[in-house]
Formats: sequence, C-alpha cells, structure tokens
Amino acid sequence: MMKAATFQWLILLAMTAVAVGLSQASLSDNAILAPVLLTTLVKGRIVIDRFMALQGAIAPWRWIVLGWLVVVVGLIGFAFHMAQT
Amino acid sequence: MWFFILAELLVFGVFFLAYAFARTRNVELFNASQLELDQLSGAINTVLLISSSYFVVRAVDQIRHDRSRSCAYWLIAAMTCGGTFLALKLVEFGAKIEAGISMSTNTFFMFYLGLGFFHFMHVVLGMVILGAVTLKAWKGGYSATSYGGVETGAAYWHMVDLVWIILFPLIYVLH
Repeated sequence: MMKAATFQWLILLAMTAVAVGLSQASLSDNAILAPVLLTTLVKGRIVIDRFMALQGAIAPWRWIVLGWLVVVVGLIGFAFHMAQT
Repeated sequence: MWFFILAELLVFGVFFLAYAFARTRNVELFNASQLELDQLSGAINTVLLISSSYFVVRAVDQIRHDRSRSCAYWLIAAMTCGGTFLALKLVEFGAKIEAGISMSTNTFFMFYLGLGFFHFMHVVLGMVILGAVTLKAWKGGYSATSYGGVETGAAYWHMVDLVWIILFPLIYVLH
C-alpha cells in the first residue's frame, strides 16, 4: 500500500514539473491550457481517491468531491478558452 | 468533518471561478500582472504541500499498524513542510507589499492576495489541527482500533492540498 502511495507522490511531483515546464516553454496560451488542466485533474483525482482514500468510500462523498473537481476545472478551462477566442 | 470540508471546497470553487471569469474581461492586465509573480516560489510550495500530504498518508498508515510514535514523526515531517510553505508565502507576500502592491492595485492582485491569504489561513488551521493530532499521537492517545482523530486531521490537510493543486496552475501557470 505504501509503495503505491510513494509512486502516487512521485507522479504528483512529476505532473507539477510538467505543468511548470509547459508554462515556461514558448507555447501559445491555447497550447498549454488543456495539458495543464489535465495534469490538474489527474493530480486532484490522486489526492481525492488515494490520499483522502475516498475510492471505495460510502456514496456520495467520493462523487461529490470528484464532481467538484471536474466542474471547477472544467469551468476554469471554459473561461480561459473563452478569453482566448 | 466532511460537511465542513465540502463547504470549504464550495467556497474555494466560487473564488476560483470568479477569478477565471473576471480574467475574461481583463486578459492583458491579468497576464501582465502574473509576470510579476514568483512562479518558482509557487512551484516549491506545491512540492511542499504535495509532500506533506504524502507524509500524512504515511502517518495514517503507521497508526493503523499501532505505531503511535512513528505516526507522530510523519506528522512532524508534514508540519515541517507546512511551516516552510507558510514561511515562503510570507516572504512572497512581503515582497509584493514592499513593491507597493496591495489588493487595491488591480483586479488580478485583489484575487492573488485575497485567495492566497484565504488559503494561507487554511494552512494555519491545518497546522493547528495536525499539531493537536501529533501531540495526542506522541502521548499514545491513538491506537490501531481508535484513530479517528488522525483520519479527520488527514482529511482536512488533504483538502488544503487539493485546493492548492488548483490554485497554483490557475494563478501562477495558466495565461
């Protein structure tokens, strides 16, 4: 179990590095939007399902927190996309 | 505790969306102001909070194995990361104030300082909670059959981490 947690921690660190790297690269605002938001979604899911241990928890807690993550990140993506067009 | 956590997430969610939609009307201002932020400090703070969350996971695992003292050590490691996060944040805020930046400078900095300080206060509260849990764990107040307090403190700390996981790319990375 702890091996999995250590692996997930390393994934979280790697995804943070990817997001920062993308923002430093000479890419357009549009080009970094989707990958950065995708890494945010994956990181959020790891924290919710693994660190908070909500995967397998009694409904509806997991779905409420995951739903919050998807709605907030989705609307942020929509707002940034709207600002670019 | 979960109702409290959900209420907190809801409030942060509203602030995040307010920032994102306010930006649609001031894209150039937001992008120019964002360049004044210390992205490295934000990235280091992300590493610190993610690592502290991982240390809290280890603490919960230790108490499940009835290792109270080891649980306390992992919690101390998590709080060290949390304390460093707060120190870096104070340096970051201090630099902005020294540069004459305040919440009234412009809309971007109103959100940056407002959201940052709101999250900062949650980290402080999380540290207080983890401190109380650590003290009890150190004294052997939890066991493999009774560790609800450790799980509750852990859930709150992970919520603080989860919020930062969105706050960091939103304010420091996306442009």
